[in-house]
Amino acid sequence: MMINKVTTLTEAVELVREGDMLALGGMTLYRRPVAFVRELIRQGTGNLTLLTFTASFASDLLVGAGLVSRVRSCYFGMEAFGLAPMFTRLATAGQVKVIEETEASITFGLRATLAGVGFMPGQGWVETDLLKVRPDVKLVGDPYSDRRYVAFPAIKPDVAVIHARLADPYGNAVLGGNLAVDWELTMGSEQVIITAERVVDKLEERADTVGLRVTAVVEAPAGAKPTSCYPDYPLDSAEILRYVETCNSDGFEDYLEEFLELRIED
Amino acid sequence: MIPDYTVDELICVCISRQVEDGEPLAQGIATPLVMAGYLLAKLTHAPNVVFGSAIGGTICAEGAPLSIARIEDIWLGRAISLTSFPRAVCDLLFRLQPKEFFRPGQIDPYGNFNNIFMGGSYRRPNLRLPGCGGIADVTTYHSRVYFYVPRHSRAVFVKKLDFLSGLGHGHPLPDYPGPHYLVSNLGQFDFKGEGGRMRLVSYHPDVSVEKIKKRTGFPLALSPDLHETPPPTAEEVHLLREEIDPLGIRELETLSGARRRRKLREIIEREQ
Repeated sequence: MMINKVTTLTEAVELVREGDMLALGGMTLYRRPVAFVRELIRQGTGNLTLLTFTASFASDLLVGAGLVSRVRSCYFGMEAFGLAPMFTRLATAGQVKVIEETEASITFGLRATLAGVGFMPGQGWVETDLLKVRPDVKLVGDPYSDRRYVAFPAIKPDVAVIHARLADPYGNAVLGGNLAVDWELTMGSEQVIITAERVVDKLEERADTVGLRVTAVVEAPAGAKPTSCYPDYPLDSAEILRYVETCNSDGFEDYLEEFLELRIED
Repeated sequence: MIPDYTVDELICVCISRQVEDGEPLAQGIATPLVMAGYLLAKLTHAPNVVFGSAIGGTICAEGAPLSIARIEDIWLGRAISLTSFPRAVCDLLFRLQPKEFFRPGQIDPYGNFNNIFMGGSYRRPNLRLPGCGGIADVTTYHSRVYFYVPRHSRAVFVKKLDFLSGLGHGHPLPDYPGPHYLVSNLGQFDFKGEGGRMRLVSYHPDVSVEKIKKRTGFPLALSPDLHETPPPTAEEVHLLREEIDPLGIRELETLSGARRRRKLREIIEREQ
């Protein structure tokens, strides 16, 4: 059934509940749902477990705003711009809990959810200290040989938010090439919110993710800025640099205040 | 005549010389020295290499000048194939085993390494690091693990790691040959010492073995054929400066503090 799911940003953000596992689509500084994050910080929904393949600007804002209790990511940094200032500060101070993840634990974990099984086996992690700080992750014997693998547990986010170039009212979405883990997030999460540069009645190009499990669709022009939305606009590197430098001179609160005043039209 | 060159250029050249023609190469997040080295190999002795990128999970046969704001143009605009990250991680890495240069936060004498935290304890570290990406996933089997360390110091080369998130030598893993090679701003190293111990193979021009020993936090083993690192050629320096990385993004990895901030600002202004 094709249902029109178009709603407002405010209503879409209300789908997120205190304590949820929230997944952000895109990667590091590319195609991140920044407009959504802005509205989420305005609404102040907290105690979140943040799941994101690689975390950067948008995640750092959520962490700095105090909305994140636990981070699940395989990389949290600002690429060429250095360490993620608020994550580094709060994780170093033990004020945000890190649930160690790697590329495989996140992707195999999401695939386990897609397949409806409790885990997916992988070759990684054995002999490392990751197993000591993730005692919930177990080894499993190969029933066909004497080998043992890591059983990466299934990951099922409560809400996933993905920013797209284009979407139709049913939630089919065009992502522009940098696909990240977004197919798995749309299939594996309880609720899925698509924000898009433009919402059109009918897509003229093939969708990268299908809308069958999408809950809400929101038009959010420039909704990834200052991260990129390839090929529509590149990374605003001057703005990312300004963020890092402002935070590093203890200016996060000022930056956040300014950030929250921006509206979509800006 | 030996051309003028900088230490970042020498590291790129050393990385380039480790690349074999036709092999698949992987490039991680924020590793411009590696990218510049790969592109140099492609333009010189290894025209048939294929790149897999952490940006977009794409596979490319062509390169483009390094960029910060438009890095996706390189990887998405010129890709042979777009994969998603789960496909790259679950379906491709094991079968292709692309050569990859990892940058350790800490490394021990046997090439075990750490990208999780430094100092203090796990719950209350002196510094939390960004994380290990996919390192812990592949260092149990990967046949082509290489390292680069742009700022060689006793904080990086340590006797004992604060956390083990990437495997070196000395583990009961019959399929894993362990790391092969390391280049730093001071020299080149292999892991052919006893039990897979790291050995100095070459010292860079104008760097003394004494200095390398002093900057290494464990007793340094020396290769029997220890020699000076061959410097870059004029062509290599020209390609790095004019074709591969005119903005000098590679230099960001060797700088720290105020000098790095200045350089970053300059690159961003020039790129706009």
